[in-house]
Amino acid sequence: MTDVHILGVGMTRFGRHPDSDASDLGAEALLEAIADAEIDARAVEAAYCGHVFQGMVTGQRILAQVGLAGLPLTNVENACSSGATAIREASLAIRAGEHDVVVAIGTEHLTSRFRGALTPDPSDPEAAVGATMPGVYAMRARRYMEEFGMTREQLALIPVKNKGNAARNPLAHFRTPITVEEVLESRPIADPLNLHDCSPVTDGAAAVVVMSDRAAGRFANGRTVRLAASALRSGSVDVEPTSMTFEPLTWATARDAYEKAGIGPDDIDLAEVHDCFSIAEVLRVEGLGLFEQGSYPTAVERGEADIGGRLPINPSGGLIGKGHPLGGTGVAQVVEVVRQLRGEVGDRQVEGAKVGVAHCRGGKAVGIEGAACTVQVLVR
Amino acid sequence: MEVETAVSFRPGELEVDSSGAGHLLGSRCASCGAHFFPVRQACAGCLGTDLEAVRLSTTGTLYTFSIVRQSTPEFEVPYALGYVDFSEGVRIMGQISGCDLEDIWIGMQLSLSVEPFGEDEDGNQLSGYRFRPTEAGSGGGS
Ligand SMILES: [Zn+2]
Repeated sequence: MTDVHILGVGMTRFGRHPDSDASDLGAEALLEAIADAEIDARAVEAAYCGHVFQGMVTGQRILAQVGLAGLPLTNVENACSSGATAIREASLAIRAGEHDVVVAIGTEHLTSRFRGALTPDPSDPEAAVGATMPGVYAMRARRYMEEFGMTREQLALIPVKNKGNAARNPLAHFRTPITVEEVLESRPIADPLNLHDCSPVTDGAAAVVVMSDRAAGRFANGRTVRLAASALRSGSVDVEPTSMTFEPLTWATARDAYEKAGIGPDDIDLAEVHDCFSIAEVLRVEGLGLFEQGSYPTAVERGEADIGGRLPINPSGGLIGKGHPLGGTGVAQVVEVVRQLRGEVGDRQVEGAKVGVAHCRGGKAVGIEGAACTVQVLVR
Repeated sequence: MEVETAVSFRPGELEVDSSGAGHLLGSRCASCGAHFFPVRQACAGCLGTDLEAVRLSTTGTLYTFSIVRQSTPEFEVPYALGYVDFSEGVRIMGQISGCDLEDIWIGMQLSLSVEPFGEDEDGNQLSGYRFRPTEAGSGGGS
């Protein structure tokens, strides 16, 4: 079976784009990815497009803008993992031998669809009693504080780190570093989480060009990164209440990915993880096996997760700093890891990085531990 | 007190009787005994499909909570939101009422309370549920 290789990546600036829509942004990212791959657009054989709230046939609207007609195209919805799931589908099409050159796009124009707190689907029993996504993560934060003694100040160091990294990322939504005091004094959203603990409502898109061994040989551009694993799982149903301070779903997905890629947590040089909220970064990295359960807040305090630290987490700025355009998020994480492994990211470069991981986890439904989770392993 | 016929905001999950009291509805697996909320069509433990509808117990323990200060327009903020663990082995989310927002703590005992909860399309009052602190000794609540 062929390996899967990423030869081209593209990404719009993340932020507010009042004069564009999801297909404009998706088309911009796709054209950049095709140009970055140094291929003729006619080489593209199939496309997958991840988004959440952009309506019917968003992917077709993107392809129409760039003149790519007639390709098999699949629109993918998997909440905040939609874009990452599109990459996985593209990789499966390659591994199956069906196609040699496939594009995956993730896009979202969220500012025109949403304001304030995201909620589960209105049909969900938890949405009906007032569940919000910040509320759910705030409850997990409170429980984590109770079990592991994490302080509010320790938690605030995560947005401080991520917005600091975002200040070095020209494509990030936020470009201004913040302090612990600013986190603590920002508007309360759901106790103990404040505004700076939350990822913003962002517009943006990203795209990648993936290829088989054969195509990667033919189109070799000297910047190829191997997608060694692209794992996906959905949440299991709770047969009895389980801990909300650990993520079996993240760990199960990570185990699949590590096994396929033939690596372990110790081999990883950097990770982009789904920090939709400050506490989420804690739960993700511990769920991925990168830090021991209960240890991440003090590791952050010691600078271990900084660029230049033992294991940099979210060097791009993460969802909190770079922004969180739902469908665009998972693809943008892979774009960041590819650029890190190629050594292209200037003053936020993780020196000598060879193996990177991108983790997405999205959605909420009553009675299941998370909805959709992806873990992708990239190797240079 | 004169009680109008109460209408549940979500009859599949909350059963309300004519006295205004109620129960949350779940499923019990006839094969392995696992309980679920809300009602399921098959058991996630053993995949058995012989599930019976059951009324869940009405008193549980607060697992964790938050004070929500930003929400969607239909909910007035702030409100307390919590996850409550019940003896059948189910954890259910609901708002917490009947006490100050500062007087909520992990581990406190809470009881199901049927309360006014929004309106239907014609403007008729609906009944939903919240969880209230269980009064010491009585297990009742008001
Ligand atoms: Zn069963």
